[in-house]
Amino acid sequence: MRKKLISMLLCATMVATVATGCGSSPSDLTNSAGSASSQGSASSAGNASSGGGSGETVKLTVWAAENDQDYLKERVEKFKAAYPDQDFDIQIGVESESTAKDTVLTDIEAAADVYSFASDQLSDLVGAGALANIEEVGEALAMAGKTLDEVKSANAPDSIEAASVDGNLYAFPTSGANTYFLYYDPSVITEKDAKDWDSLLAAAQKAGKKVGMTLNSGWYVASFFYGAGFTTDLNSDGTTAMDWNGTSPDGIKGVDVVKSMLDITSNKAFRPIPDGQISNVFASGDLCAVVSGTWDASVAADVWGKDYGAVKLPTFKVGDKDVQMKPAYGYKFEAVNAYSKDIGWAVLFAEFMGNEESQMLHFQQADQVPTNTNALQSDEIAANAAINAAISEGDIGVIQKVGGKYWDPAQTFGELIAKGQVSAKDDAAIQKVLDNLVDGVTAPIN
Amino acid sequence: MKTKKMKDSRTSTIIMHNVLIGVLAVIWLIPIVWLLCTSFSAYTGINTSTFFPEKWGITNYINLFHPDSVAQFPQWFLNTFIVACINCVISTMFVLMVAYATSIMRFPMRKPLMNMAVILNLFPGMLSMIAVYFVLKTFNLTNSYAGLILVYSASSGLGYLIAKGFFDTVPVALCEAARIDGCSEARIFFQMVIPMSRPIVVYVIINSFLAPWMDFVYAKMILNAGVSSKYTVAIGLYKMLDKSLINQYFTQFCAGGVLVSIPISILFMIMQKFYVEGITGGAVKG
Amino acid sequence: MDNESKGAVAAVKGFFKAVGGFFSSFGTAFAKGDIFVKLSLIWLGAGYVRRKQYAKAIIMTVFEVAVILFSVFFAADYVPKFGTLGTVKAERVFNMATMKSEFNDYDHSFMILLFSLFSFVVWFVAIIVWIKNTINVYNLQVMEENGKHINTFKEDLRSYLEEKFHITLLTLPVLGIVIFTVIPILLLIFVAFTNYDQQHTPPTELFTWVGFTNFITLFGGGGLTATFGYSFIRVLGWTLVWAFFSTLTTYIGGILLSLLLNNKKTRMPKIWRLMFVMTIAVPQFVSLLLVRNFFADSGIVNTICANIGLTGFLRNIGMISTNYIPFLSAPGWAHVMIIIINIWVGVPYQMLIATGVLMNIPEDQLESAKMDGAKPFQIFVKITMPYMLFITGPALVTDFVKNINNFNVIYLLTQDVYTTTNQALANSQAKEVDLLVTWLFRLTQDYYNYKMASVIGIVVFVICSVFTLVAFNFMIGGDKEGTYQ
Repeated sequence: MRKKLISMLLCATMVATVATGCGSSPSDLTNSAGSASSQGSASSAGNASSGGGSGETVKLTVWAAENDQDYLKERVEKFKAAYPDQDFDIQIGVESESTAKDTVLTDIEAAADVYSFASDQLSDLVGAGALANIEEVGEALAMAGKTLDEVKSANAPDSIEAASVDGNLYAFPTSGANTYFLYYDPSVITEKDAKDWDSLLAAAQKAGKKVGMTLNSGWYVASFFYGAGFTTDLNSDGTTAMDWNGTSPDGIKGVDVVKSMLDITSNKAFRPIPDGQISNVFASGDLCAVVSGTWDASVAADVWGKDYGAVKLPTFKVGDKDVQMKPAYGYKFEAVNAYSKDIGWAVLFAEFMGNEESQMLHFQQADQVPTNTNALQSDEIAANAAINAAISEGDIGVIQKVGGKYWDPAQTFGELIAKGQVSAKDDAAIQKVLDNLVDGVTAPIN
Repeated sequence: MKTKKMKDSRTSTIIMHNVLIGVLAVIWLIPIVWLLCTSFSAYTGINTSTFFPEKWGITNYINLFHPDSVAQFPQWFLNTFIVACINCVISTMFVLMVAYATSIMRFPMRKPLMNMAVILNLFPGMLSMIAVYFVLKTFNLTNSYAGLILVYSASSGLGYLIAKGFFDTVPVALCEAARIDGCSEARIFFQMVIPMSRPIVVYVIINSFLAPWMDFVYAKMILNAGVSSKYTVAIGLYKMLDKSLINQYFTQFCAGGVLVSIPISILFMIMQKFYVEGITGGAVKG
Repeated sequence: MDNESKGAVAAVKGFFKAVGGFFSSFGTAFAKGDIFVKLSLIWLGAGYVRRKQYAKAIIMTVFEVAVILFSVFFAADYVPKFGTLGTVKAERVFNMATMKSEFNDYDHSFMILLFSLFSFVVWFVAIIVWIKNTINVYNLQVMEENGKHINTFKEDLRSYLEEKFHITLLTLPVLGIVIFTVIPILLLIFVAFTNYDQQHTPPTELFTWVGFTNFITLFGGGGLTATFGYSFIRVLGWTLVWAFFSTLTTYIGGILLSLLLNNKKTRMPKIWRLMFVMTIAVPQFVSLLLVRNFFADSGIVNTICANIGLTGFLRNIGMISTNYIPFLSAPGWAHVMIIIINIWVGVPYQMLIATGVLMNIPEDQLESAKMDGAKPFQIFVKITMPYMLFITGPALVTDFVKNINNFNVIYLLTQDVYTTTNQALANSQAKEVDLLVTWLFRLTQDYYNYKMASVIGIVVFVICSVFTLVAFNFMIGGDKEGTYQ
């Protein structure tokens, strides 16, 4: 007779479940944004029932990196002020651009309506259907008195191209020149020394200091190979294409690139820095030159004074040829969640975050390089050494097109070289390492 | 002469013995001391050159109580405290209820249920995490403390074994006598067994109170809206060590760690006796 | 051991007997029941109405209506799609007037799986209740025929505080376990037979059943990266080594430390003990993240080692090739360090347990051994250890299983800082220091490879169950329940 209590309990649960079940059914019929079989409908019922039109409160969740929180708050207020007739309920959350993809793909429907992310995540996000196709929802921009074409032409063409897949725009560029270059201490290194690795390392050794670079990261390690004319590319099925184990169109063998890298890493004045620790090591003051990005400009100023040097990446020697390193060159984009309940307003806000005023402000507050062509002309930008170095790499920078399978093998590859665990004399071993790398990177997804 | 020699060697072994313990204690405490020292450092990043900070200061503690967009320690502390208290009540009840039913009472489904529990405990918790997330989402409980509490407490009944072991030591005759006297099972449970089992009750209470302070995996998954003021202490502090933040927040992280550890240490100090008795009374039976 | 297996067989037999009895009494009830019992098969409350138990009748009727409503309005949306896990992909059109996207009535594979499973559980319970209900109603009939007293509703309620108190106690905990442990586990067992991965992530894409493909992949059937099987063996190996050493070291260490502290020579044992317990009081994510920075390549320990010349010495004898000691960044070093750090974390716990157990060690045995002139070491090996093992043996097995699944220590110490130099492992997103569970976690968090994570999870489960079964059969003699009662 124990069934009675169990059954009582089950009743309660089931009534509750049925209630939730029923609760979502009406919204299936009348919903505007919800989805029938999906969970989303239950929560959208609230929106739908309060009636369409401008009377209803627009609920948005927006994410930005930890250090951009104040900037985001200010922008949200400005955005609200721009539409005084509309009620907003905008939640602000923390999510770093570099990890946005990981959080979003765990549960797309629960992700923020608008968030910023680094351009290398674009393909995975588009592949998972997480990003709204701006071409489909772009007419919402009419509320801001703009057209999609105007927005596109206001930004540098490269940035728009990088934010597009198959000619469809999937996100709004907010900042560019997300890349790395060479910082140096002008009291130790001359501008001429900074032009190639040999003289750079020689000068550093003379001063008893080190030159630092991160190698155990697919983002940094690629610069040597891109420089030698090798490529990575993204196939339509989400896998990565890679040719580093062969001979590049420039006639340079992958094996020889690795040998040159090993020459550099075996130099006493070279210091490999683990991924993510650049700022930390930089601040320690042991370095006279380091490969890093605009985010370390303030550290550079602290350590070496306001007149620190920043130039494009040096060249390295392959055989007797001088090869210019080419950095991975990326952007930061503002995404619109494809499953956003108020997608129209989300588009408006994302565009707002990418407009000239926002980009200029972001530059002033966080040294972010604008992509807006007007903002790029500003005098303030010309005065900033780090940003100039980043922008100067616009011609040599390579937009890194890789899939999710690229990063782990590339990281391990970089670590092997950083630790000198392959011998520069053993061509066969180096070839094997490259073959393994290409195998891992080009493997089918999952 | 002879006795004095013996006494000497005695004292020397005693000294040796205590020195050995002292050395071990120092080894065990080095990281804790480092935590404490670093938390009083005036510098914000990781101190890699000296063990003790070059400049001392209490700025980290002051900053902890002046929340910025990243660190909102008082809020986190409050959140965790609330979750911990509610979880403590529910989990303790569940664990004691299951332990009593399986230990003191006899009913036909007892053995099968206990075997099921053993099997369920063998599944890696990480595996079911994603599914738990979607179950919560179904009930619209993600990004809520109710959801978090449910995750910590709903399955807590599975951790009943230690408490059961303790209850097993309650003499059967005592319960029988009470039953003959006409006590209901409920009265035996509340008025006899529970008061007799103070150590295990304390043990269970401490354990369930601590869970939300220690866990960051589930909390990170469930509170995924990225709203910093809703974090628990564990995720809040964990996020401070993000690559882009570690240099500004490492010492603050240490200060936060110290502040979390203080109440827990005090709890441990007060409850140490019960804890040892409870854990061993139960572990004896495993 | 023979006894044990007999016991297990008996348990299985008993279970089937109970199930058989359940159905046979249902058969009896069905055959011999009066019209109201038979009516109860359709209307669950019928029998109670006849015996004037109206409250029960209402409860059962509400239950029945709830199940029917649930089936019609909820389960019917999902269960029919269980075979395919959905066929309609999401499509959307933007509506400028409302500023919202309008979606079609699309399928969400994961929700279909979850809700179907949920429906199955509900129906399973409903069938049990239905059968049990029939038996109960028949029992009432028999009782009435024999002129026995039939409980009033009040008496029924009372019984839940007395002989049926266990139901009151167990209902909520069991419900919690079913929803938050059983259903999730079943769900992910199902996922192991689907192609739920990054290419098939709801809501945008659908996933479907693929049979045993994922298991074949794991055991070297290709399809995935060529190195997945290799990585699996490597990770499994380290998982077992880790579980063995971490359990053993903390166990022995805990006993030794507690012997040391409880020795009569110890002055102020309480203060000493407190110092060790302090390390437990610091939450693991704080202490481990701290220790990780402590031993980082450019961390404080390395600075000190370099200053006192240890780094140079190790370099000279060829132990390291770098100009720092790779405590947590090179295989071998990291493995040893992780186990050592785990000793640091785990020994105080074991010390507390051992202290309690050793307090109960029979004094007379120790005394007589001392009389016989046994050395302390002999006493330890001959008396203390066997006693400890006897008492804490089962806990040791549980600890081993816990260590196989010890996510915290490994994740907190190695995530983001350990880079593997083994390309074969890297190509499968594994590292030398990964346990199966951390690998599984990364596969889901960074690569959304839920299907393989589920397969690995099942394998972990199988390993743990085999180990537990064997250990309990060989190591621990008999079921000790009751020996103290």
